[in-house]
Amino acid sequence: MTPPMSLEAAVRLTEILLALALIQQSLEHLRGFWNERVLFGARIVLCGLVVAGVASPWPLVALAALSLMILHRFQGPYNGGSDRMGLLALWCLTLASLAPTPASRELAFGYLGAQLTLSYFISGSVKIVNPDWRSGRALADVFQFSAYPVSEGLRAWAGRPRVLLAMSWAVMLFELAFPLTLLWKPALIAGLVVAGTFHLANACLFGLNRFFWTWLAVYPAILWLQARLMP
Amino acid sequence: MRSLLKLLLPALIPSWNFFDVIAPSPRVEYARLKSIGDLSGDWREFRPRPAWVPPLEMLTRLFWNPRWNETLFLVSCAERLTDAPTAHSEDEIFRRIAADLRGGPEDPERPWLCFRLVFLSREGEAVSSEVLFQPAPRRLAEIAVV
Repeated sequence: MTPPMSLEAAVRLTEILLALALIQQSLEHLRGFWNERVLFGARIVLCGLVVAGVASPWPLVALAALSLMILHRFQGPYNGGSDRMGLLALWCLTLASLAPTPASRELAFGYLGAQLTLSYFISGSVKIVNPDWRSGRALADVFQFSAYPVSEGLRAWAGRPRVLLAMSWAVMLFELAFPLTLLWKPALIAGLVVAGTFHLANACLFGLNRFFWTWLAVYPAILWLQARLMP
Repeated sequence: MRSLLKLLLPALIPSWNFFDVIAPSPRVEYARLKSIGDLSGDWREFRPRPAWVPPLEMLTRLFWNPRWNETLFLVSCAERLTDAPTAHSEDEIFRRIAADLRGGPEDPERPWLCFRLVFLSREGEAVSSEVLFQPAPRRLAEIAVV
């Protein structure tokens, strides 16, 4: 049995993974307009400092301040939910790094882990109350006419109602059951592997590559929280 | 400061209601026009998706996917324009169409650019489309793309 991850180790691992995810996103913006290049060039430098562990916690504080400028630039998140999770992680890590007491540090970091759990559970809850999701119709609509499939060829999936029905229920039940994985570390690890595969599929089919890296970056927070709640 | 908090709060207290309902889905179409009142524009979908993406390319897009992410940003702008129109979203769409067109052949006969937002939705078993937003045309040469 491996010993549980310490708070310091979990925070540090999340910082590094998040900084790498933000570098990946920022590099994509360097082909954009000049004001994007300035903002995201600065973000790459600051993320590099976070990865290197230099001048902690000030690069995180600067990244949080820069995130406000980026929000202003795009008048909201550039890529919806993935950017929101990135912002949440960044602000939780920044607050944890500035927290005056160990308890408040745990609270800030634990909030991130709790939100990760909620991100699955609430997504499942809002789907299962919708008859279109329960019948597989909603997922057929995603493939048939939504803006997400990366190719026209993928739209043919809309004509496979049985497969989509099975996929819909698999996604809903997994999302709803995710909080139960907090009861046992091996179950949580298995749950995160399934969740990571789900994000990988979304990245391939719908081009949501930012979700994959951002959610992966937050996994140490839930691993720490599970060990904290179920010692 | 208040407006920044309004933008930040949904990230700090997220709703996580991904795909709760499959809402009408926007497509951006554009046309180059002879004049500001020209109705003869040839409307084209902006960045139509390819017929097929090879699996290897799907995987490489995990690491490098700027064009698709920009297209998803334009989807957000399109949704914002129908919810609560702002000059920002309109400018963003004009700028990104103009930037793509600047790399192509010029058409001095059609110096004006316009776009429209076509929303697709399901009605029964059929998919229907409806134009929900079309701003005033702008001169392509006057749209800043730097």
